[in-house]
Amino acid sequence: MPAIHVNEITKSFGSIKAVNGVSFEVQQGEIFGLLGPNGAGKTTSIRMILDIFKPDSGSISVLGGAMSEDKKDKIGYLPEERGLYQDIPLERCLIYLASLKGMEMNVIKKRMNEYLERFDLVLSRKKKVKELSKGMQQKAQLISTLIHEPDLIIIDEPFSALDPVNTQIVRELLMEQRDKGKAIVMCTHQMHQVEELCDRLVLIDKGKTVLYGNIHDIRRQFAKREISVWSLDEFPSHVFGVKEIIQENHEIRLRLDATTNPQDVLKDLVNSGIKLERFEIAMPTLDEIFIRVVQGEEMHV
Amino acid sequence: MKKLLRVFKYEYSRHVFRKRFIFALLGMPFILILIAAFGFISIAIQYKDTPVGYVDNAGVIVDETIILPSGWFFKPVELIRFNDESTARLAVDQGTIQGVYIIDENYIDTGNVHLIAPKTVSSNAQSDFQDFLQLNLLATQSQDRVDRLLDGPKIEIFSIDGSRHASSQRILDIVIPIAVGVLFMVMVNITGGYLLQALLEEKENRTMEIIVTSISPNQLMIGKTLADMCVGLTQLAAWLGFGILGLAVAKVLSPWVAGQQYSLGNLGLVMALIFPAFIMIAGLMAAVGAMMTEGQEAQQMATIFTLPLFVPLWFVGPLMTNPNSPLVIGMSLFPLTSPMTMPLRTAFTTVPTWQLAISLVILYLCAAGALILAGRAFRIGMLQYGRRVKWREVFQRGKSYE
Repeated sequence: MPAIHVNEITKSFGSIKAVNGVSFEVQQGEIFGLLGPNGAGKTTSIRMILDIFKPDSGSISVLGGAMSEDKKDKIGYLPEERGLYQDIPLERCLIYLASLKGMEMNVIKKRMNEYLERFDLVLSRKKKVKELSKGMQQKAQLISTLIHEPDLIIIDEPFSALDPVNTQIVRELLMEQRDKGKAIVMCTHQMHQVEELCDRLVLIDKGKTVLYGNIHDIRRQFAKREISVWSLDEFPSHVFGVKEIIQENHEIRLRLDATTNPQDVLKDLVNSGIKLERFEIAMPTLDEIFIRVVQGEEMHV
Repeated sequence: MKKLLRVFKYEYSRHVFRKRFIFALLGMPFILILIAAFGFISIAIQYKDTPVGYVDNAGVIVDETIILPSGWFFKPVELIRFNDESTARLAVDQGTIQGVYIIDENYIDTGNVHLIAPKTVSSNAQSDFQDFLQLNLLATQSQDRVDRLLDGPKIEIFSIDGSRHASSQRILDIVIPIAVGVLFMVMVNITGGYLLQALLEEKENRTMEIIVTSISPNQLMIGKTLADMCVGLTQLAAWLGFGILGLAVAKVLSPWVAGQQYSLGNLGLVMALIFPAFIMIAGLMAAVGAMMTEGQEAQQMATIFTLPLFVPLWFVGPLMTNPNSPLVIGMSLFPLTSPMTMPLRTAFTTVPTWQLAISLVILYLCAAGALILAGRAFRIGMLQYGRRVKWREVFQRGKSYE
C-alpha cells in the first residue's frame, strides 16, 4: 500500500492552473523527492495532499485512503514558510504543537527532551522562539514535525539555514525515519541532497509532471553518450565508434556515435592493450538534468 | 473535541496570563478607585471640625439637641448657640468658631441668614447648619412627614402607551444594563482585538499552515472564539466583581443605595444576550483577522461591527420616553444593537415575549453564522500572505475551499 497515491490532480486559482494532471506514488520506507522550479506547483500539490485545498479533479489517497482528521495525527509537515509562535518559550510552543497531534503530555515531554538533546537545544528550551537563531528555529520546526512519530513526513527545504553539522544530523534523522518504514516526501532545491537521500523523485514544472521515477534510472536515461576513461598509457587518436576524443592529462572523455555501445568500446580498449585505471559511463548530475528538463530541452515522464 | 479543547486552553492561557490583559483587567477598577480616592481626599482637605456659631433672632431653633445625620466618614461640626451678635463676633475673632450665622428676625418671611466669618466657613459646616435649620423648622411635624420631606417623592415614569415604567427606587434596572453594556462593549473591543491580532500574527509567522495540518479550520476557529469569549467573560466577571464589591460598600455607606432594588431576571436577560453577541462579534473579528494583512486595516474594518454596539446609547432618550416605538423595537431585534437595547427596554416597558424570543433567536443564528463565516474566511485567508481577501470571495468562493 503506497503512503501517497496522487492520480491526475488538477487545481486552478482563478485563471491560473497551478497543478495540471500530476500523478505519483510514494511508498512506505522511501525518501521521495518532490522537485520543481519556483512556482511549479509543488506547494499546491502538497497542500492538496494535506487536504488544505481540495483538488478540482483527480484523486489523492493518503495512508491507504482519503484524508481524514484522524490521519492528520500520522502526518508530519514542515512547510517552506516556517511557522512557530514567536512570543512564547520554545518548550511551550513544541508542547502545544505536539498536543494538537493528539499526543499526551508525558509522551510529549519525554520525546521533546530526547529531540532537544539531539539537536543541542536543551539550554534554549526556556527562551522565546524569537530569541533563537534561524538555524535553531529550523531545528525546532523539525522537532515539531517529527515529535509525534508520523508515518508520513512531508518536508520542504529541511536543510535551509543549517550548518554542516546540523545538516548531517538531519540527514541521519531522515535516513533513520526511512529505515523505520516511514514515507518521506522531501522538497528541496539542493540536488546533491536529493541524489544522496532520495530513492525516487517527481519533477513538476508549470503544474505538470515532467520527470518521474527511480533516480538511478533517470540519471541513466539522461546519460550523455560519453565515456570517461583514466589511463597512464598513451591513448590512441582514433577509437572505433567514437566521434571525438578529448584528453585532459590522464583523463580522456570519449563522445560516442549514436549507435555505439559503451561495452564494445571498453572491449576494444582492453583488447588494444591499454591499461585502464578507471572506466565509467559519464552520468549527468541531477542539477544538470533539472536544468535541461526545466529549460525545456527534454521531457521524460 | 480534544484538540478543540487544547486550542481553547492554549488560547485562553496565552491571553489571560499576558501583562496587557492583567493591565486591562485591573486598570479600570484602579482608575475608578483612584477617582474615588481623589474625591475623598478633596473632601478631607476641605473638611473642618471647628465649631460654627449661630444667633437665632427669629426664634426658629426650637431644639438645640437635634442630632444631625452623620456623614460617611466625617462627623457633623458642633453648632454653638450665641445669645447676641457681639459675643459671637468675639468668639470668631478669638478663632474658637469658624464663623457665626445670624438668623434674621424675619427669617420665616425673607429666608435671610447672614454669615460673619474671617473668610468663609467650610462646606461641611455650611451643610450641617442648613440641615440643622431644616430639622428645627420641621420639629413640629410628625416623623413620617419629616422623613417624606427629606427622602423626596418616589417618582415612577410611565411611558406614553401606559406600560411600565421607570422608578427612582429601581434606578439599578437602568444603570446596570447600561453599565454592563458599556463594559461588554469595552470588553468586546479589547478581547476581539486580541483575537484579531492573534490571527494576524499566525498568518504573519506562518503558524497557520502548521496548525491546519493538525486540526480542522472550523475546530480551530471555534476553539479560538470560545477562548476569546472566556477571556472576555473573565474580564467582565472581574469587573462585575469589583462593581458588586463597590455596590456593597456603597450600600453600607449610603442609605439611598441600600434602598435600591434590582431584578435578577433582567441581569439573566443581559447575560443571555451577551453570550451569543460575544460569539458573533468574536467570529466576525476572526473573519476580519483571517482576511486582512495589516493590523491597522483590520482594526478599521472591525469598527464596522463594534461601532453599532454603541448606537443604543445615543438613543437613550427615545428609548426611555417611547420604548415601543418602531425604531427602538428595530434596535432591540437587530443583532448588533439588541444586546444593549433589549435590557434597557425591559427596564422601561413590558417587552412582548415574542420580541424577546426573536431577538435571542436572531442573535444565536448570527453567532452560528459568524462562526461559519470565520471558518470560510480562515480557509481562504490563512495562506494568502500579503493579499487582502475580499468579502465577496468569502461569500462566493468560500465553499470551493472546503
